[in-house]
Formats: sequence, C-alpha cells, structure tokens
Amino acid sequence: MNRSRTLIWSAIALTLLALLLAACAPQAETVGEAEPAAQEEAAPAPTEAPAEESDDMAMEPVKIGALAPLSAPGAVVGGEAMREAMLIAAEELNERGGIMGRPVELIIVDTEGLPERGTAVVERLINQDGVVGIGGGYHSSVGVAAKEVARDNGVPIVFAETWNDTITSVQYDEIFRIAPLSSEVSTVDVKFMQWLRDENGMKLEKVVILTENTDYGIPAAENTTALLDEAGIASVTFSVDIGTQDFAGIIERVKAESPDLIVTLATGEASYNFTQQAADAGIGPQDVPTMCNQVSLVSDAFWTNVPDGNHCYVRRIGLPQQLYNDVAQALVAEYSARTGKDDIESYAMASYDSIMLIAQAIEDAGSTDPSDIIDALENINHMGALGPITFPINRSNTPEQAGVDPKWWHQFPDPAITIVQYQEEGQDATETTVVYPVIYQTGAPIIVGQE
Amino acid sequence: MENAAIFGWALLWIICWGALGGVVTPRIYARKDLEISQASFGGAVIGAALGPFSLLPLWVATPKITNRLIGIAIAIVVGIFIAAFALADPDNLCVANGGFVISQLANGIVIGIIYGLMALGLTLIFSILGVVSFAHGEFYMIGGMVTYFISAKWLPGVSPLVAILASCIVTFAIGYLFERIFLRPMGSGEIERPTEYAILVTFGLAFFLQYFTQALTSAVPVKAQRFFPFPRAELPADSGALLKMTPGNVTIFDAVSIPNPRFTAAVLALLMLAALLWFLYRTWVGKALRAVSQDRQAAAVTGINPDSMNSLAFSMGAMLAGLSGASLVQVFSWLPQVGIPAAARSFVIIVLGGMGSLPGAFLGGLIVGLVEAAGTGCIPDATRAAAYIPAYGMVILTLVLLLKPTGLFGREL
Repeated sequence: MNRSRTLIWSAIALTLLALLLAACAPQAETVGEAEPAAQEEAAPAPTEAPAEESDDMAMEPVKIGALAPLSAPGAVVGGEAMREAMLIAAEELNERGGIMGRPVELIIVDTEGLPERGTAVVERLINQDGVVGIGGGYHSSVGVAAKEVARDNGVPIVFAETWNDTITSVQYDEIFRIAPLSSEVSTVDVKFMQWLRDENGMKLEKVVILTENTDYGIPAAENTTALLDEAGIASVTFSVDIGTQDFAGIIERVKAESPDLIVTLATGEASYNFTQQAADAGIGPQDVPTMCNQVSLVSDAFWTNVPDGNHCYVRRIGLPQQLYNDVAQALVAEYSARTGKDDIESYAMASYDSIMLIAQAIEDAGSTDPSDIIDALENINHMGALGPITFPINRSNTPEQAGVDPKWWHQFPDPAITIVQYQEEGQDATETTVVYPVIYQTGAPIIVGQE
Repeated sequence: MENAAIFGWALLWIICWGALGGVVTPRIYARKDLEISQASFGGAVIGAALGPFSLLPLWVATPKITNRLIGIAIAIVVGIFIAAFALADPDNLCVANGGFVISQLANGIVIGIIYGLMALGLTLIFSILGVVSFAHGEFYMIGGMVTYFISAKWLPGVSPLVAILASCIVTFAIGYLFERIFLRPMGSGEIERPTEYAILVTFGLAFFLQYFTQALTSAVPVKAQRFFPFPRAELPADSGALLKMTPGNVTIFDAVSIPNPRFTAAVLALLMLAALLWFLYRTWVGKALRAVSQDRQAAAVTGINPDSMNSLAFSMGAMLAGLSGASLVQVFSWLPQVGIPAAARSFVIIVLGGMGSLPGAFLGGLIVGLVEAAGTGCIPDATRAAAYIPAYGMVILTLVLLLKPTGLFGREL
C-alpha cells in the first residue's frame, strides 16, 4: 500500500515536472507555424486547404532561425529584449502576407551566451529545423563559434549584436553583421575619454578596464588599451569570467589603482554586479566617472540591480531617439506596447532588422536557397530601423579592391554610436542625456569625483 | 613579479620535500608498527616546512604525529610561502599595503562565513541521510527570490527580517515535502539502488525548481535593496580617520573597507550559525539528529525515529541554503541560475572539510573564502587574478584530498 502510494505520488510529480519543464524550457521557441492562432491572423492564405501537392509546397512556412541568450550565464536582459523584437518582426512579416506568399516561421533558440551551446543550436536550426537564414546573436563568443557552423552548411547569418572583429574579418560568404565593430566602438570610447579630458578639463591619467574573458571582452580591452596608450593615458585591465558574481577582491585592487575613470566591458549580470559592488565600496558611478556596459540601458533592470548607478555613462548603439526614422518609430510603438518600456534597446532594434533583412533578401532572391539569399544580401538596400542598411564590402567589392581592412567584409558601415549619461536617479533610458558626440549632444556631461 | 626565481625556488622546496615526506613517512611508521593514519599528511607538511631539517629527526625519532605538530608545520609552510612571495614581489599590494591586506582578509572571512553556512546545510543532509543533494543551489536561489519578492514587490517596506523568515519557511517546507515524497522510500528498502536514485531525484528537483522559478519570475536579474543601511557617521567628526560610515560602506582607520550588504549578510549568517549550534547541542531534537548521524540503528534503539530525523535534516539543510540566499540577495544580482556556482562551491567545501562534518563545513567555507580573496588580491597579473576564482578552491581541495582523503575533519575509514 505504502509502496503503491509512493509510486503514484512519484508518477504524478514526475509528470508535472516533465510538463512544466517542457513548457518552460527556453530551448527553442517558434512563432508563426507553431502558433495557429497567430498564423491565421497573420497569414490567412495557409489556412485555406490546398488541393494539390504544389500548393502544399507553396504554403510551407519559410523558416528563419534566431539566436538570443535567454539563460544565464548569457546576458538574459539583452536576450529577452532581442526575443521580443524578433517576434515583432516575424508577426509583422506574417501580417503583410509572409515571404513570397508563404508564412514565416521564426525559431528562436537560447544560446546561453556559451560558444558550445551556440554551435549546438545553430547546428540544430540548420540541420534539424531546416532554417534558410539566421538572425539575432548577442555574445561575440557565440558568434565566433556559430560562424563556422554557418560556413560549413552554407546558410547565411546576419549578426545583430556580436562585435568581435574577426567574425567578419575572416570573410566568410555566409556571415553578415549589422552590429558595430568592436575596434570601432573602442575608438569612440577613447575619443569620448579624450574629449572629457581635453574639452571638459577632467583629470584623466589612469583608466581601469573591467572586461570579460570572451571573444568580445578580450579584444575590446586590448583595442581600448592600445588606443588609450596612444592618447597618453595609462590603463590597467582586470578580466573576469562571464557570469562572475563576487567582485570584492577585484574592487579592492581597482581602488588601490586610484583610477580617474572606470570602463566596464563585462556584459550582462556581471556588469550590474560589478557596478553596484563598486558603488558599495565607494568607487561607483557617483564617486568615479564610470562607463557602464550597454546592458545598463535596460533601465528597469539597471535601477533594480544598480540602485547607486546614477551618473553612469553608457555607450548607445544607433541613432538618438529624435532621429528615428518611420520604421524605428513604428517598431518602438509596438515594442513599448508589449514591454512597457519607453524606448527600444539598440540590440533589440538590430535583432528586428536582422530578421527583416533576411526576409527582404529572400524576397529579392525569389528563392529560399541559401546561396541565392547570400547573393541578395550582398546587393541589398534595406530601410531598417537602424537606417538604410547595405553591405558595400562584398565579393564584387572585396576589401583588397576597396582598400579597407578585412573587418569591413559584409559589415554594415554606419551604426551610429553615442554616449549617454544617466543624470537622475531612476531615470528612464529614453530620458538620458546624450553627451557625446557633440553633434547629437542634448546636455553637458556631469563629471563626478573632480576636486 | 620582480624576483620570480625566489618564489619558484621556495615553491619547489615545499613541493619536493612535501612529496618526499608524504611518501616516505608512512612507510617508516608502518615498518616500526606505529599509527599511520596521520603519517602521510603529517609527513608531507613537516617535510614541506623545513625539509631535511625536520624530516630526518621525524624519521629517526618517529614521534606521534599530533594535530598540534601538524598545525605548527602548516604555519611554517604558510610563513615560508608568504616570505618568499614578499621577497619575490615587494611592490605587490598584498605585501606593500597593509590596509589592502586587511580589507581582503575581511572580505574573505565575510564571504567565507556565508559559504560555510550554505555548506553546513549540505553536510547536515549528507550526515543524516547519506545523500548529496544536487538541489542545494536551487534552495539557495529560492531563498533569495522569496526575500526579494516579499521585500521589494509584494510587501514593500516590510522589515527584511520578515522576508528572510518567509524564505526560511518556504525552503523548509519545500525540503520537507520533497523528503517525504521522494526520499522517504529510500529508507524503506523499496528502492533497489538508493544512492543512484537520490542523485537522480535531487537532480530532477534542481532542474524543476530552476525552470519553474524562471517561468514564474522570468530570467531578468533582480536584487534586493540593502537590508540595514549604515547611518552616515564619522569618527572623529571632522576627518573620519578612525571610522567612516556611509549607507553602503564602513571604513575603519581610513584603510579597511567593508561594504554594508556583505557585513549584514555575514552577521545574519553568524546569528544563524549560533542558533544552529544551540539547536544541535542544547536541544533534545538536535542531540537526536547527531545521534542518527553517528549510528542510525543505535539511535533507533533509544527511541529516536530516524525517518523523522531524515525529514528534519533535509528540511533544515534546505532552509540553511535558503537563508544563505536570503542574506546574499542584497549583495548579488539574482537569477534562477544563481545557485549553480554556489552549489558547486558547497560541494568543494564539504569534501574539503570532511563529508558530514559540521565544523569541517564551516572551516572549509572560511578557507575557501580566504583563499579566493588572497588569490584575487595577490596574483600579480590583473587580467587573470579574478578569472581564476573557481580554481582557487579546487587547488586547496586537490591538495587536501591528496594528503588527507577524508578531508580536514572527515571520519577515518
């Protein structure tokens, strides 16, 4: 009796467990084909029963893959925002009637910010789910690993937020990027620091860089260090593993360096943990000028995790809100309605564009053959939320012919980069002051810690 | 490091003489038909301390290797290590800056106390049930989540102590239910392979709790505000040279700095530890728990119900993990996956301290906390010092397992 009762309980519990895990696990999420209601609303055509086999083929969904970090140690805050934006893209496409009259099925997978996981999910997207193109992508480590799978299988990826220069500099036909290059971002960072020093009288002799041991963090720190050196500014780099929580020991060392400015290149939760723990130790953004990581632009999460984060400078990719085009404004309106946020994060915007780019490339090619899509992407002129997107350095205009560095291969050349600053506690990211470059400036920077 | 050769030679001395002492001493003691349980460990540390100057007298006189002798030898080894490091890298912050050293020590002790509290829960479960709970990190995570949601979302403004108490109740209740439903059959003989069953079922619980929490709360990190911010104060009033307090930090002697959230977390952990010790050593139920951990059958003969003690131990273990999480949710950003590294560290600590040993778990926590702080603070290469954090505990664990496989306070087999 006792045994049977236990077994029944065990069976019930395990069934519940399995159901819940199946429901909750963020392994892969599809929209379009997998959601009949949404599909019916978005694309009426597929609901009409086709009579012939050719119609069946025509009504098969066009499958597009999407990469986002949706679990730790990845930057979940960023991943959630990207997912929402990519879902909007897929639904918008279906509302317009799909691609070539066929519904769009978006399959979103969780990379966890880990290269091995990224490789596995891209492999699965291509060989199991049969996607014809992939968008999204946040962590450079994932991008570096995933590009090899894309190349092996000949399927294009349009990366939205992976900055590592080598992702494009290897010049793979399949790899496109609308995120900025890490080295270009470092250049803007250092120009901003020089501007603070030269134009605003800020004391700037030593910078501490906190970075992560990833394919984004290490080269970004090296680029920044080299540029600071050229500008006559000393620097010390501390690197941590992605997902590090406890920074107490490092913060004591940072304090001992007496930095004039701190740059946080660590992404995700690690950046929140570092900034708040530094604030607790008396070297936070209100004590020492600090460039926080771009994940700080998710204002709700930022203020929850970094209540003492006021006066952070944050690098923002994309144009200031006042310069948004119609596509961006429509996207912000929809995104705000869904998330309650007043603005959209740059990487969410880029994720939206990455899906839309693939969709337009399929339309332009008139085919779902990946090699045709690659050809179309090389010649694309897409009006996205980020602005007009092109890839001018490609097989017909190689870096050698154009006389530019190979990193510009299949690279969107114009992602605008601004530096904004939180100037009031609890401020929304949309209300931050644009402090640099001067052409976009909406207010003067507040420089803390100056005697 | 200016004079790396000095440090290298000192390390070589310690390793070579330590290895020789660890290998040869037990053979000499065995040949003389002497007690050899401490011979390997004792020989290693005595050899590492003074090399031939201590090993030869040891091998000739073969005295009883007491804990005191081992303690002195360890102190000498640590002294040699520190002296060699100081000579090799005189400009290192750990050598040249006393305030920095004390701050790092304080940080190590504070975080070590909390590590110890969490590991206590795991070792308590192991000592009574003989089960390693792979869901320990998830109880830690739930403790923090419950505290956050009560103090920040559901009842904002309520005392943090209420939220912490609620987290204790929730984790205790989940632990109790889980033990009654899934672990109780182990003791009744209904499960053919109870050890494997326990591993699988606690793994299942871990995944369930993690993804269930993620479904309920999302994976966006959260963080509780400081539980008890310090008042602003300076002593003396004009300079703060002796003591300076801000809501987030206290600085003593203008050199040693302790952040408020860590300080309050450590105080909470110490209070809980005192309550746990009182419960285990001063109450009938606590003594019954200890009796079951020593000899299950003998305890049953005296009228103690081992099944009830199983439930209590698992629930209390879960609650201790929950309490650790509750006290740290004001220190770290909190996610459904936050318990994974914490649980891994707890496994290291209980093996280091000796499986099932309560003092061992606490001491192990302190050692890991201090070693992590020392490693992070003293390794000269700034780009690697923090990256090695997960490795520091592993290095100590490997050394202890090589020399004393039962851990520092483990029962001899």
